Amino acid sequence: MDIQEETQGSLVVVALSGRVDGFTSPELEKRISDIIERGNHRVLLDCANMEYISSAGLRVVLVSAKKCQNEGGKLAVCSLQPSCKSVMEVSGFLNMLEYHETRDAALAAG
Amino acid sequence: MLTFTEEILLLMLDDDGLFLPIRGGAVEHILVGAALMDLAFANRIDTDPEKLQVIDATPTGNPLVDGALDRIARSEQTLDTKGWVELLAREQAGDIRQRAMNNLIEHGILEAKDEKFLWVFHSRRYPTIDGRTERAVKLRMEDVLLSDDMPDPRDVALVCLVDACDILGDIFSEREMERVRPRIEQLRVMDLIGREVGSVIAEIEESITMAMAQVAH
Repeated sequence: MDIQEETQGSLVVVALSGRVDGFTSPELEKRISDIIERGNHRVLLDCANMEYISSAGLRVVLVSAKKCQNEGGKLAVCSLQPSCKSVMEVSGFLNMLEYHETRDAALAAG
Repeated sequence: MLTFTEEILLLMLDDDGLFLPIRGGAVEHILVGAALMDLAFANRIDTDPEKLQVIDATPTGNPLVDGALDRIARSEQTLDTKGWVELLAREQAGDIRQRAMNNLIEHGILEAKDEKFLWVFHSRRYPTIDGRTERAVKLRMEDVLLSDDMPDPRDVALVCLVDACDILGDIFSEREMERVRPRIEQLRVMDLIGREVGSVIAEIEESITMAMAQVAH
């Protein structure tokens, strides 16, 4: 898994590549926690290059979304590949989180 | 903090220490599902719709769940979550149940009471002697179900298990159930292990219904 981070307006975009699973998700959780601790409570997970997400990965997404919400912010998700989108749909995550098909749409929504 | 296995066992007992009627009579599957959740939250196993795999075979130090971890780690089979729930329910549920019960007794939450009825038949009940823990677990459930906030994954997992048991009606009044039903629908699919336990129990119920229909004919 690779994590790239950039600030776009009021959002911190976290671009994920590769597999988000039980081996890699602790690193993702720490990175997002660090972002929140620096005072950025609006996070966009750009999943355009995320190839796989397991239950451990989903838990980290939910924990991070809760942390953002507790600080008055939000965690949104964009650009899921079909297989990952299907996993998140079946698990009800797309009903719980703000989702956009593209990064541009997510940035436009703020 | 109690494990999922201990929490769900506590919720499955009524005030007199007897098991509530669990959907499909599937106490073993519920307890095994809870033990798998404990392993998942301890970062020992990970799941996706196709498979359950060990990511760290180091024992957690809790014998309640380490037997299941060892069994999965030593296996050469690749099974999905449902497959492991079914296999461990046959092989380890009795041990998991007894260990969880002993832990709750050691924590001073339950006591074991042996009784005889008709002067011959022996039975054992596990009445609650300190209700604070059970009330705290129920309060957590209420908090997560009566709010629209982003849920904590631990609470989601517990809701999935309790829903799979079909004992939410023993925690909430009929009126509260009407109110929390949409939230239950939203959360019940969010934890894969909980979802698979629910699916195994639905199959058990279906097979019981079919068997009863055959007997009736």
